[in-house]
Amino acid sequence: MTSNDTEYDLDDAVSDVVPSVEGPATQGPVAVFQPPRRREPAEPDAVGDEPGARPEARTADLRSDLQTAADRRAAEMRAAADAATQAQRERAAATRRDPEPPRAAPPLPSGPDIESPFLELFDSEAAEPGSVGRTAAPPRTPAAPTRATPPVTRVDGPYGRTVRRPEEGPAGVARRGPVRADTPPVAPPPVTPSPVAPSAVGAGWADDDFDDDFPPGRADGAAGPATRGSRNTPVSGAPTGGGAPRNAPTSGGPRGTQGGDLAGNAPVSGGPRSAQTGGSAADAPVSGGPGNRPVSGVPRNAPVSGVPRNAPVSSVPRNAPVSGVPVSGVPMRPAAEPRNRPVSAMPVSSVPVSTVPLSSRPLPPRGTPQAAPRSAPPDPGRRQAPPKSRGKQVKPAAPPKTSKDRDAAQELEVTEIAGHLTFTPHAVTAWYVLPEVRWAFRPDAEREALLSAISEQYAGLAGFRLHLRRTTRPFPADQWAAQLDQLTARPLPPVPGAPGWGDHLVAAQRHLREINHSEGQTFLGVTFARRALGDSFSEKLLRAFGKGTADSERRKLGKQVEQFDEVLAAFGMRGQRAAAGELEWLLYRSVALGMSPPDLIGAVGHGRWDSGDLLALTEHIERYRTPYGSTVKLVNRMTGEERHVAVLTVGRMEPLDIPERHEPWLHFHERLPWPMELSSRVDILGPGDSFRNLEHRLRMIRSQQLDYLEHGMDAPPELERLASRALVMGDEMTTGLPVDSARAHGWHRIAVSGASREECLERARSVVATYSRELRISLQHPKQQDQLAREFIPGEPVANTGYLRRMPVRLLAAALPQAASVVGDRRGDLIGRTAGTCRRPVFLDPHFPMEVRERSGLSVMVAEPGGGKSTLLGAMGYLNARRGVQVTLLDPSGPLARLATMPELRPYSRVLNLTGGEQGTLAPYSLIPTPQRTEFPPGPNGDREYEISVSNARAERRMLVQDICSMLMPPQVAREASTATLLRHAVRTVPAEETATLDDVVRCLASIDDTGRELANLLLDTAEMPLALLFFGSPPGDLLSTDAALTVITMSGLRLPDLKIEREYWSAEEALALPMLHTAHRLAVRRCYSGDMHQRKLVGLDEAHFMEGWRSGRSFLVRLARDSRKWNLAALVASQNPKDILGLDVQNLVSTVFVGRIAQDPEIASEALRLLRVPTDVGYEAVLASLSAPDANSSGRLGYREFVLRDVDSRVQRVRVDVSYVAGLLETLDTTPTGQAAGQGGKR
Amino acid sequence: MRLRTDDDIYRARLVYLGPPGYTLPVQLPYAQYGLFVLLVPLYMGIHWLFSQRFEIFPAWEIALAIVTTSYVFRHVDPDRPARMVIRTALTDWRRTREPVTERRDPRLVARRVVVRQAIT
Repeated sequence: MTSNDTEYDLDDAVSDVVPSVEGPATQGPVAVFQPPRRREPAEPDAVGDEPGARPEARTADLRSDLQTAADRRAAEMRAAADAATQAQRERAAATRRDPEPPRAAPPLPSGPDIESPFLELFDSEAAEPGSVGRTAAPPRTPAAPTRATPPVTRVDGPYGRTVRRPEEGPAGVARRGPVRADTPPVAPPPVTPSPVAPSAVGAGWADDDFDDDFPPGRADGAAGPATRGSRNTPVSGAPTGGGAPRNAPTSGGPRGTQGGDLAGNAPVSGGPRSAQTGGSAADAPVSGGPGNRPVSGVPRNAPVSGVPRNAPVSSVPRNAPVSGVPVSGVPMRPAAEPRNRPVSAMPVSSVPVSTVPLSSRPLPPRGTPQAAPRSAPPDPGRRQAPPKSRGKQVKPAAPPKTSKDRDAAQELEVTEIAGHLTFTPHAVTAWYVLPEVRWAFRPDAEREALLSAISEQYAGLAGFRLHLRRTTRPFPADQWAAQLDQLTARPLPPVPGAPGWGDHLVAAQRHLREINHSEGQTFLGVTFARRALGDSFSEKLLRAFGKGTADSERRKLGKQVEQFDEVLAAFGMRGQRAAAGELEWLLYRSVALGMSPPDLIGAVGHGRWDSGDLLALTEHIERYRTPYGSTVKLVNRMTGEERHVAVLTVGRMEPLDIPERHEPWLHFHERLPWPMELSSRVDILGPGDSFRNLEHRLRMIRSQQLDYLEHGMDAPPELERLASRALVMGDEMTTGLPVDSARAHGWHRIAVSGASREECLERARSVVATYSRELRISLQHPKQQDQLAREFIPGEPVANTGYLRRMPVRLLAAALPQAASVVGDRRGDLIGRTAGTCRRPVFLDPHFPMEVRERSGLSVMVAEPGGGKSTLLGAMGYLNARRGVQVTLLDPSGPLARLATMPELRPYSRVLNLTGGEQGTLAPYSLIPTPQRTEFPPGPNGDREYEISVSNARAERRMLVQDICSMLMPPQVAREASTATLLRHAVRTVPAEETATLDDVVRCLASIDDTGRELANLLLDTAEMPLALLFFGSPPGDLLSTDAALTVITMSGLRLPDLKIEREYWSAEEALALPMLHTAHRLAVRRCYSGDMHQRKLVGLDEAHFMEGWRSGRSFLVRLARDSRKWNLAALVASQNPKDILGLDVQNLVSTVFVGRIAQDPEIASEALRLLRVPTDVGYEAVLASLSAPDANSSGRLGYREFVLRDVDSRVQRVRVDVSYVAGLLETLDTTPTGQAAGQGGKR
Repeated sequence: MRLRTDDDIYRARLVYLGPPGYTLPVQLPYAQYGLFVLLVPLYMGIHWLFSQRFEIFPAWEIALAIVTTSYVFRHVDPDRPARMVIRTALTDWRRTREPVTERRDPRLVARRVVVRQAIT
């Protein structure tokens, strides 16, 4: 009992974390991470609880018939949704009636919390979630524990309430198999006529056979989400009443006790299904339930127990009395809810409740007019759960309509998938997967080369019909999160009251799902063989024996198909043979056009799909259409998901300048934020065919001209123009290369889908508008949508002959549906999405270059002021600090210090304000660490390296001190040659150790001569300013402890000079800023050189452009880049001008580059492009200027900004930084005055 | 690369001007005559079903065929051939507004598809 309760708690806790967001897009699994719990999975818990759990039963489940499971699940989902609301109502009523139930189960999460309806569909443990939820208690208790301690057990009260009651009298007896026949009399007469509670009581407690077959631990074994999903489905046991009358006629009296006994099990068997199957549990096998599946198998196994099913033991309904038992504490409901009442108005109590407790929504007896209210009559051969209780999703259909419904299933044309071939009765198609290609920010020459290569490949397929198909796969957010979690060894410990690491990940995944990222998959099918009559006949014959096509045919085709491998695998498309599984996926996605894909299950369940599983799921996709309608409605019976699809077709196309001005015309749709599907059916005509075709057309035009001449009429001028064009083309065809002459005649369709008809049409409108505006392609929205939607399915016929586009293969190649824009690694934090031609999530792990690519970890951010550098820096700092990376941010202007006030970071962060710092904080000598011998490999070589680096450190110190001294001096003095000489002498004299101070230099200068003394005095003069004191003296000992996860170094109040103004005109304060920034940069990095070398560290340095023009600045960046790998140190350096980085000549060491908005200076822009290694002067400068362009129409503030990102793999892409899933981060980082005020106001 | 389709060549309007020496007052596409020629016997056949006799000059049939042809060709353009228009009219023929009720199409089911991991 207690274990159950704790499990409840556990699960409830989990359910807090997992989103139960409505909507199909958000239905997917979300990997949940609760660090404390993460280490110990839930299974041991369950297994430990139930020693009797039988593994073989579980494995048997795995093999369970997918179909039945799906059917049952479908019914349950509906029942669950329905019952959940009802349960709430009931519970409220119950509490009103029975103010203090003895011990109620912990409160169930209210509302239909079915976040992923088919989460546990094929999972062994969760195979029957309905049962788990419904009889939440029974499966757990029944085995040993219950029997050992009969007096107390849990009973599934009405609507899934688990109630504790002393098991006495009838119920106790009921559990004893042999005594069954006696049980009825034992029960006192029913107090209430309600059959509801009774059967619930009887449910699951009934018989021993059942216990044997039922692996006790199963229900518990179900993973969190699984149980959760169904827990609120109160359900089946309860509303049994409905089923009773219905079964009464069917099973009749004789079935009697045994029937009732079976009924006891019924709730386990999943109400809805058994309801459908005719009520009697004995019918269950008909429904194809997997034999060993504990759940559905129960009824089937029952007869095996030796009791003849129909044994007329007693005609007294056993359940009826049981129901009457005033089971202590079980709140009896006076009557079933009206809606649970059997449709037939028979008084419930009067009916011998012989059989199965049915689902929440009872079905009337077979044959009553109300039968099968909404959905199709299931296939005659297979019984399926009628989708009963889903009234809200589908319009209530008029009862007469059902008569019109024929048996509505039609097989696809495709009869077989063998490897990458698909067979239809008439043709064979070979399928290839086209990998994504990069398009954005590539030089035009490269793009043209790509297009030419692809068009040659198309030309090489002359004579074949192609099916180009693009579908999408939602981004596997859960996998990403799991990986990130795995890579995060020590996330920041949770802070009470603030979202922990798990919440953070969940928020990121939700965000990923909300913005609907999807990855495209492009398939190319080449229909290459007509099937001989004999072949298709022998296939028909063999199918009778469960085999497909004949071996000989396939062997023959296998040889033929090799030619395409060569053509398609070359540079250009680089097509790979599609695997059978991928084709199944494609078939499913095409039948369920635009619906959320089923592979979301994989992450939670056992994740294995056997071949054919996916295809079986197409059973559940119902198609509705309206005559002349503009959409097709698809309904997934299993999940209740409803999708409206509008198929657009490509109409007139104006000439396109593909690499130069326009984007690939079938890639273009990805610009819109929702996934779409593409299907192109294309006939490739070789030179001969296309010339004949053209010539025919030319002759027609000519004869028309002649006609006009004969009739003495003026021919329309277009005829002559078209004729001459046809002549030119004919000339090209006859004399040009095959690529020039090959033509692609075909139909191109785009399927737009939406959750409602209005949404779908709205989306279709915006797709049409975007295409006509940007590409001058008119997309048409023809009628006959159902046929068009069907055309997406491989092997189906072309919908109609309209909108045939005839084009050279180059234009087809330029469609390039496989273009994509991917950037970033897939293992870091989510920092935003690509914002160019398509939307993909962008993940960035600043340690990826060092840990995986073995490159330097230096990242550069360049943008104009206000371009979002600081925000990005802060966001990166925050995200990395969360992951337990030791983060040091140097932010001279100070807004990043507010990061430390965020509740989740507050205990682990530290702000160091240099303007209020102690004397010696920035003492230049100590800023450069002395290498330790342990950092080098042992042996003489290591000794040597060590010595070299020690002396390098000394040289660097000298350089730094000399630079600092000249910065501190007035520029006029610093420029004199004698100054440099004297400084160099002094610096050389003072030993360049960490312990040395600037005071030593001053002392040394003063001891040289008068000029030296003068210099020393100048230095001491500056030291009068409080800020300059930071340079003098020894550093305080515990300046930067390494334990803080986030350290922000600020210099608030420091006035940064404008570098465009000569140094002479800087005020003393501004002049001091220069050495302070230099040393502060060093200080920020200094902290990283202590502690573990391999620990991940991140340094963010803002305002790095002050480094330019100083030797020490360059050496600093070079050192940073060099050391980054050794010390696992990622450095983010933000600057306003790419020239700083280019001028310092460290761009070869830079692995990641962010370039923000640069609109003012085209020179800076072109330098930024150089930094990105993007061709300059071809128009990309305009892209930089258009980054984060404010929308003139909106008065709202721009949140996160856009950047062009070059990642470590040299992929360049426009990205929009978006870390909005971290609540409050943007407000915290807002650097504008109003934003700050708003943020603080909000906090208050 | 400037890329354009060849569609304009196929978009040329080909009309029947009339037999040599006599220009018809209206110029209609060839396809329209073709449809007309198909429709007249069709209507005659329908008429025969009712009346069991053929007219010598099927005036009603010709009139109906003309009306039908012109109605069909009102929807025809280079992208929508007459065949597609007729087919759409036949398959979607019920009413022209979005009706309230929906019709269920047969589910497209792939349950009989044989799946092999390799070709042989």
